[in-house]
Amino acid sequence: MNCFVPDELVVERGSESSSVFNNLCSTLPQVPVRIVDDVRVTAVYDRSVDHFGAAKKKLFLTRHRGEFFKKCPGSEGQVCCNYFVINFASNCPMDCSYCYLQDYLSDNASLKVFSNIGDLIDEADRTLHRHRGLFFRIGTGEITDSLALEPYTGIVREIIPYFAEQSNVLLELKTKSDCVDNLLDLDPKGRIVVAWSMNPRPVIERDEHGTASFAERLAAARRCQEAGYRLGFHFDPIIEYPDWENDYQPMVEEIFATVDWRRVSWLSLGVLRETPGLKRVMRQRFPQTRLLAGEQVPCPDGKLRYFQPQRIQMYRKMVQWIRRFAPMVQIYLCMESKEIWQQVFGFFPACEKELGNQLAPLD
Amino acid sequence: MDWLEEISLRDDKSIQDILAEKAIYDTSTNPRLGRADRLKRIKEQLRRQRYPRLAQTEDQIRAHINGLKLHPEIHLSVAPGLEGGRLRVEFQPGSTAELRALVAKLNDATLLSSMGAIFELLSGDSGKEQN
Repeated sequence: MNCFVPDELVVERGSESSSVFNNLCSTLPQVPVRIVDDVRVTAVYDRSVDHFGAAKKKLFLTRHRGEFFKKCPGSEGQVCCNYFVINFASNCPMDCSYCYLQDYLSDNASLKVFSNIGDLIDEADRTLHRHRGLFFRIGTGEITDSLALEPYTGIVREIIPYFAEQSNVLLELKTKSDCVDNLLDLDPKGRIVVAWSMNPRPVIERDEHGTASFAERLAAARRCQEAGYRLGFHFDPIIEYPDWENDYQPMVEEIFATVDWRRVSWLSLGVLRETPGLKRVMRQRFPQTRLLAGEQVPCPDGKLRYFQPQRIQMYRKMVQWIRRFAPMVQIYLCMESKEIWQQVFGFFPACEKELGNQLAPLD
Repeated sequence: MDWLEEISLRDDKSIQDILAEKAIYDTSTNPRLGRADRLKRIKEQLRRQRYPRLAQTEDQIRAHINGLKLHPEIHLSVAPGLEGGRLRVEFQPGSTAELRALVAKLNDATLLSSMGAIFELLSGDSGKEQN
């Protein structure tokens, strides 16, 4: 994987004493550092050009002033998996053509990592202790890639020891990178899931710019599994195109020929979906992408997806291929209705807690 | 306009070539159609070109609905884009006797293969896959 190197490191005054700052300086000695009083003033981009792409070139280090720990917003009317999110960074150095952050972070596009990781851990600790009887599945990849900047920030290395000790947590690190070196000598104690978003090689090459290749992701997954981590895989977005099956089926086979499915915590499936706003941005930033050539229709939650019979067939095929190699692995659909669940699996979860509990580890 | 651009990108054709295709050209130059009708038909032709498999599935469903011969007393329809996977059934009886008759007619229709075929198409179960 080609490692991302920012053009500049912009540091909010007060963050220089953080471990993240020290890590950034020691791993990126060639990158100029600028200390500023207010990063918000500095993070202004000319919107007449590709401001979202421009925002990925600088890396900001700042304190996070809001909540770190939140419920995943999900999608209205769709089956929810009771996921929580912790955001230690905002935006991503990669540039997938379908990425929803192009729309979601359009007005706040600067690539940021947060320096007050101690506050993150304190906040998580208060919540987890207050609700010891509940199980939490927590992800760190909602508005960033969990590991793409890890070689420079060391944030994940700092939080893993804490979460590994929590009895009511599974922490998921979702990524499209192969930046796992920082994790391999830590003991996850069964509490950490490293998860990869996966697509076949043609999709990665055409539309997942700046990410690790399929082979790199799979090799990293294997290394993590050998180091004791649970794994997850997210087939999301699944892209429909002529002969898509001829790419996706071998991809599934190759994954399960490489990793032990019995130590895979979950797999998720989700077809390509976008809001109308995201579609506009995709057309502007990636005018030649063929992703928008599919037969997508508006759905009740406002997002565009392949029309229902088509995506049911896609899900059924994926489930069939997965089951051939991983008969008992937990599979769930991301942002789909009860009707789709019923058609694909023959049942739907009664509530989000039921699905969340199904995805809990069998200790 | 979006549909034209998306067809152009998908099929590697210029927008001019798409609009010059016989079916669309014939509609656009048909002197017996008013402007509004022309636009409506061209829009439908473009929709079918933009969403060929969806249009094919909708056609199949429509054919099965027609085959049930329930119209005009009982109106069957599906959601735009087939989202939701449900069949909408509407009728407006004017008396108990009429209600009983319509329900019986509907019940008889459930025994026909076309009714099953409609639900198969909606649920992605049809033998002809959406490839």
